[in-house]
Amino acid sequence: MNATFTLLEMRRITRDWAGMFFTAVLPAFFYLIFGATVDAKDATIGNGNVAMYVMISMAAYGAVTATTSIGGNAAVERQQGWGRQLGLTPLADSSYIAMKALIAMTVAAVPILLTFTLGAATGARGSARAWVLSAVLCLVGSAVFAVYGLLVGTAFRSEAAVGAASGTMVIFAFLGNVFIPLSGALLAFAKFTPLYGYAALARYPLTEGYLPDGSQDPLWLPIVNVLAWLAIFGTAAVLLVRRGRERQ
Amino acid sequence: MTTTPRPVDGASGAPAIELRSLVKSFPPRRGSKDAEVRAVDGIDLRIEPGEVVAFLGPNGAGKTTTLDMVLGLTEPTSGTAEVFGRRPREAVVGGHVSAVLQTGGLLRDLTVRETVRMIASTYAVHSPVDEVIDRAGLRRLADRRVSKCSGGEQQRLRFALALLPDPRLLVLDEPTAGMDVTARRDFWDTMHADASAGRTVVFATHYLEEADAFADRIVLIAGGRIVADGTTAEIRSQASGRTVSATLPPGSLAECVARLRTVDGVHEVEERGSRVVVTAGDSDAVARLLLLELGGTDLEIVTAGLEQAFMTLTGDGRDTRATGVARDARDARDATTHDEELVR
Repeated sequence: MNATFTLLEMRRITRDWAGMFFTAVLPAFFYLIFGATVDAKDATIGNGNVAMYVMISMAAYGAVTATTSIGGNAAVERQQGWGRQLGLTPLADSSYIAMKALIAMTVAAVPILLTFTLGAATGARGSARAWVLSAVLCLVGSAVFAVYGLLVGTAFRSEAAVGAASGTMVIFAFLGNVFIPLSGALLAFAKFTPLYGYAALARYPLTEGYLPDGSQDPLWLPIVNVLAWLAIFGTAAVLLVRRGRERQ
Repeated sequence: MTTTPRPVDGASGAPAIELRSLVKSFPPRRGSKDAEVRAVDGIDLRIEPGEVVAFLGPNGAGKTTTLDMVLGLTEPTSGTAEVFGRRPREAVVGGHVSAVLQTGGLLRDLTVRETVRMIASTYAVHSPVDEVIDRAGLRRLADRRVSKCSGGEQQRLRFALALLPDPRLLVLDEPTAGMDVTARRDFWDTMHADASAGRTVVFATHYLEEADAFADRIVLIAGGRIVADGTTAEIRSQASGRTVSATLPPGSLAECVARLRTVDGVHEVEERGSRVVVTAGDSDAVARLLLLELGGTDLEIVTAGLEQAFMTLTGDGRDTRATGVARDARDARDATTHDEELVR
């Protein structure tokens, strides 16, 4: 691991004020609007309250916005010639990937910490185990969407496309039962969308599978959703990278 | 075909670059009926330490692909490439070779110094960051964002990055593509100032003047093959001598052309309106014939330039590719086509 390289990469990210706003500040703001200030915030869900439920959802949303954009920009940079520049140095691909992964996880941790801190200050309640496990699941699960970003970046090769991919997280968040509680047919459909499994899993230590409409998901459901989408994103990314390599 | 006398490096017996039967082909685009593209079609080449060599050729001649294989950025389809007797990737990791690539490929949101620090951090041993920045003439720009640097300044930054490992072999791929005349001169001035004794330099270009001014040896590449290899003077002499032209009396043109074609050492006779243009080894004999016997007037004798040699060797002069080169040599703004080629 190369400290200078990693720190300079971090500096690039902190320079992108707009990006940092959407990644870090917006989810915290959403929590305040949809979680901390709603009437139902003290209603019980699982071993805690609705405020905590919304807090975890928003932290998860912020984390995937970060990893999607970092994964995507890494792919775009490499294809726009930076990969060739790095190819002229002793830096191994594996070290590069490890550094980018570390950066993605570090940046994803920012909205999680911010939202959780606000939650703790504004009455989110849950078991201690739920606080710790949810934060960890938010962080680890967000890696799946770094692969999604990588896929979009490799396919479309432009920063604009990566920005759009980050933006589609809003749509996936609505479809995936992250922003507003769904019910009926929409909820049944939501269970097949990419963010559903990840967010449901992150909330599982709090909800034990219970949903705002009173129904309950078995633990295997979000796990299968996450693994399936990881497989889909991963396979597509590998195929695209391989096709790109043939043409080099 | 003659080659240059080659300086021998006392420290290491291995040539700086050795290419054997090097071939690189690309599969056809998916769904298209085109055959595979042979970008490099059997290149054998040996470059000794200390040589300054120009790869000269039109766009799509295979220069970039060949250099990519020298740098280990691309694997050959067949054949081998060695740098100082090692596999290219080993030579890169050991800091023996580095390169200035074509436009593109810098991070726009870093400053000049940050970019140098970042690349420097990948080497176990490297020249001091500030020294490299000075040598590339970037001291005043060190804190400027890459996005705010001109094309020429960005190219000097790539040059600074290439100096970091203090390489024995420096590869420059179209280093001045997309620059205006002043920026090109500045870049080569910086290069000349740095041409420390013993560093091998190989650069690709389609600017004849650049090859002529900077290289000791020119390797002419067309259609993925080497079509000529020698000193600038040798390449020039391979073009057929001189061109003699004159205006002939009306009516006698066809007869005179037929007569000129029978003269020994005449390569080509061409009619241009009332003038006849003769390419010949012995220009004096042709001039004498034109003036004394055929009634020619307004006689002109021109020595074939490198450009003409280039056209003769890469095609027949009227070949679309060769004329394309002559045009490209004057047009600096074709860097985008290269980038597309790279991103592909």
